[in-house]
Parts: sequence; structure tokens; C-alpha cells
Amino acid sequence: MGDLTTEVLVIGSGAGGAVTAAALAEAGRTVTVVEEGPWVDPDEHEPFSLAEMVAKYRHRGAGAALGNPPIAYAEGRCVGGSTEINSGLYHRLPEHLAQEWRTTYGIDEFTPEVLEAYAERVESQLSVARLPGAPPPSSAVLERGATKLGWRNVEFARVFSYDEAGRGTKQTMSRTMLPRARAAGATIIPDCRVVSLVRQGDRVVAARCRRTHPGGGVERLTIHADHVFVCCGAVHTPALLQRSGIRHNVGNGLKMHPTIKVAARFPHPVDHGDVPMHRVTEFSPFIAIGGSASRRGQVAMALADTGQPIDEAMADWENISTYYAAIRSEGSGRVVALPGLRSPIVTYSLSEADLSRLARGLVHLGELLLAAGAVELHPSVTGGHVVRRLDELGIWWDQVTRARANLMTVHLTSSLRMGEDRRRTGTDSFGRVWGFRNLRVNDASLLPDAPGVNPQAAIMAIATRNCDHFLADA
Amino acid sequence: MLWFEREVVGALTTTTDQSIRSSVEAFVDGALRDWPEHLRLGVAAESVLLGTWAAVLRALGRLPAGDPAALRELLDRWEHGPIGLVRSYVRAMKSLVIMAEHDMLAEEAA
Repeated sequence: MGDLTTEVLVIGSGAGGAVTAAALAEAGRTVTVVEEGPWVDPDEHEPFSLAEMVAKYRHRGAGAALGNPPIAYAEGRCVGGSTEINSGLYHRLPEHLAQEWRTTYGIDEFTPEVLEAYAERVESQLSVARLPGAPPPSSAVLERGATKLGWRNVEFARVFSYDEAGRGTKQTMSRTMLPRARAAGATIIPDCRVVSLVRQGDRVVAARCRRTHPGGGVERLTIHADHVFVCCGAVHTPALLQRSGIRHNVGNGLKMHPTIKVAARFPHPVDHGDVPMHRVTEFSPFIAIGGSASRRGQVAMALADTGQPIDEAMADWENISTYYAAIRSEGSGRVVALPGLRSPIVTYSLSEADLSRLARGLVHLGELLLAAGAVELHPSVTGGHVVRRLDELGIWWDQVTRARANLMTVHLTSSLRMGEDRRRTGTDSFGRVWGFRNLRVNDASLLPDAPGVNPQAAIMAIATRNCDHFLADA
Repeated sequence: MLWFEREVVGALTTTTDQSIRSSVEAFVDGALRDWPEHLRLGVAAESVLLGTWAAVLRALGRLPAGDPAALRELLDRWEHGPIGLVRSYVRAMKSLVIMAEHDMLAEEAA
């Protein structure tokens, strides 16, 4: 059994943890970051490939929120967290949400102006850019369809840097914030799972960990810390707190963006190496339309969602790409850590309005893709009708049912929520867990609701703000 | 991986390339091991129940033994059937196999 001592312990190295580590180390604090997953060279695997799923995804991408219907979800489990596996789309928190959350949850210092200043700071530290030159065919499809229908659409900036030849490199946490943290003196320990936190009165004094060594041996490690930041994401942050006996508003109110998909066949080849950067915002904030990773495996999986044979379509797979409609959901879920189980149980309950919104999103997505020139649409609905003409789309309204819809998500948030209203929140306005002087959360769990867009930018801005508050306070 | 899961993976894999078939089976085996315990436990329980059901159908002569196409048809019926847990079982196994097989075929083609 080993013992370590640090001033600040950061648990988790994704968008929240990496920002926290860099900000505090650069402010002169002694910081140790522990990450459950391994360190993986960011260039080692093709993005969205099977090899990447094995190396960087938790459960090889096979998480599932239980419910009717169940909702599949994916999270990163490696140094850099989900920033290593996501599409890198960058979207500031919409102003109206900041206003709404501030009022509803009583969040101090959460005005659009404050958040904008932090967003600018994050953007100056990362490279946030639009694609130089023309978009790839899979993305141009969204722009073309929306323009024909007169719908609003936008090319989102991404956390990418581009060289002179236009080649992009995603600015993941393992390429940006974590090297900054390390340069400022932080220690990063991969393959180290925190089992529980050790409490003493209103303080957390240590974390009990299990560290796996490259040879496979497991070492028990206790890390003593003056301050602890839990940044394991919306599923594993509440699970760790619950395992440590901390339960007040912890794990309830989980939010996500339930997503329904279409595999669209075009009369021309589409690219498969990247994720489309255009989004259709006509139905925002309740429905967002965009494109998904579409390697051959993902195309096959999307086609198979109808439950019909895929051989004929797969012969033409280079002309097929997958697209989605994601909704802001009225429903919510729970994260429950049960004794003896390593993984928490995640549940999510979709409302009837959510289901209706998903059906509407699917039909709008179909309209858009047909307008863009698609010749065949396969919905992610078991027994779903393969649509070739506009007048066939109406049938999807009745086919999106709890029994038939195949849903997934990559955005999970809100399993603690921040704010001064203790009845609704698990932490104060700056992520300090109620009842503890030195225990903070700084990740997607704090967002009071799913933002309707990729949450990475909001997580990073809020994490930076919370670090400033901590530095001024402690 | 349980015996019925191996059978299901074999039935759902379409390529005749033995090395890819073996790699798909290894991937699914690894994925099932890596799943959250409660999901793995649920799938294992279903595998035992559905495997027993398939064995009963075989004993009654209603499911030809050693015929992957017949097992695929049975899986199709379950996928479109009324029991949610069984539908989810088939979808989960199918997703793993199809994704792995096609990603590996693409890798090989490259």
C-alpha cells in the first residue's frame, strides 16, 4: 500500500478535470491528477475506429441507461476523458440558458457576461476554429438541405488547429490542458481508480485508490489532500460521491440529449473520416440536427437498426452517411452506485413529449436529407419504413414508439447541479459540495440541464470560473 | 462468452473469412467482459433462458440444429417480438457483431 500527499487532488482528466488541473497548477498549487483510464497516444488510433473504442471508451462504448426505451451512451475512459473521443464541436452556452439557470437554481455570478469572459479565456487557451476551405460532402449535405428548405444552419467551430495544408488536429485535453498542467508542476497518474473518499467531519482528507501497473499488478494507494475536485463526469462523479456516503441531491436529475438517427444513401460517395461540422438550428433549442461518425462499422450498425437485411445497402456503403436529430429532453434519470458493483446503474425516463419530439426530429431530418439529394433513408427504428420519397415520411410519426425507437446519446449532464437553492442542488454556485469545506465538483454534473448543444465549451468555461473562485477563496 | 452467445455471434457474422470471424468473436467476448456488471449479468441470464428455449425448439424439431440461417431467423423474430428485454438482447448482440465485422472488413480492405 502506498501513500501520497498533495495540496489539490483532481479526480478525472476530461474537460473539467484538465481545466482544473491547469488553472490550479499555473496558480502555483501542488496538483495531482488521477485518471481511471490509461494514457493513450492521441495519434495511435483512427478516430471512431474499433481500436479506438477498445483503447479509449468506457465499456468499449457500450454504456446504457436503463428505461423504456433504454438509451445507449458512450463516454471516454482514458487520459483526457471524453475530449479524446468526441467530435470536438465547440458551442458556447446559449445566453438564454445562462439566464434561465441562474434564476431557477439561484446561481451566483452566472450572468451571460461573466460566462462570455470565461469562454473567451478558454478559447484563447485552445484553438477554436472553423474548417479552412469547403466543407466535406457529408457536412455540405446538411447545409444544402437546410438552404433548400430555408432552414437556419451553421458551421460550428471545433476545438481544432489546422496547419497550412488544412489538416486538422483535435485539441484534446491530452494535447492542451494536461501538458500545461504538467509543465506547471502537476503530477498525472493514469490507470488509477478512486474507490472512495475518506471523510473527517466536514472535510475530505484522502482518496482510496487502486492503481494498475503496466504489468497488471494492482497497488492500493491512499492520496491525502487538502482540497479535492471530483471531475469524473455526470455518471461517475455521483457514483464516487455515493460510494463515499455523500448523497444529498447526488445522482438524481441526470439529463441527456436523446438522439435518433438516419442512415442516408446518396447517389454519390460521401466522406467517412470525420464528423460533419454543420448543424441545422431551425428547431433550436428543442431539436438539433447534425451528422455522426460514419465509418463502415457505424454505417452498418445504423442500417441494421431497422431490423431489415443490410447486404444490398452495404454494397453501396461508400454512398451512405449517418445523421441525427437530438432533443432537449423533459425526462430525467438517476445514477445509483450499489455496494459491490463497480459500475453504477444509470436509468433514464423519457416523457411522452420527448418521444413526440424525437418523432418530429426524425421527420424533419428526413425532409432535410431528401432535400439534400438523399435517395434512401433508413431510420434507427426497428421495423421502421425505409423512405425514398417525401410523401412517405409521415409514416415515421407512428413508428417512433418506446418499443421500436433505438436511441443513443453522448452528452450526459446535471447529476448534481449547482446553485444556492439547496433543495434542488448538490453543490453551491461554484461546485462546492453541500456540507463539505474542501470537496468540489467541476464537470458536466454541475450543469443544471442539458444545454441542447455539445456541452464541452460550457463545462470548460464553468470549470475555469470555479477555479478562479477557489483561488480567491482558499 | 456463454455457449449460446457464441452461437448467436456465429449466426450473425456473415463473412466466410475465418480470421475475421475469429476476431469478431474475440471482440464481442472482450466487449461483454467489459460491460457494466449489471448489464452483463442481465445479458448472461437472457442467454441462458433464450439458449434453453432454442434447445427446446431444436428438440421439438422446430429449429434445425447447426443451421445459422435458421437461428438468424429466430433472432429476427425475437427482435420484432413483443418482449422488450428480448428485443434489447438481440439489438445489443447484433450491434456488437455488425459493427465489429464491418469495421474489420474495412480495415482489411484498406
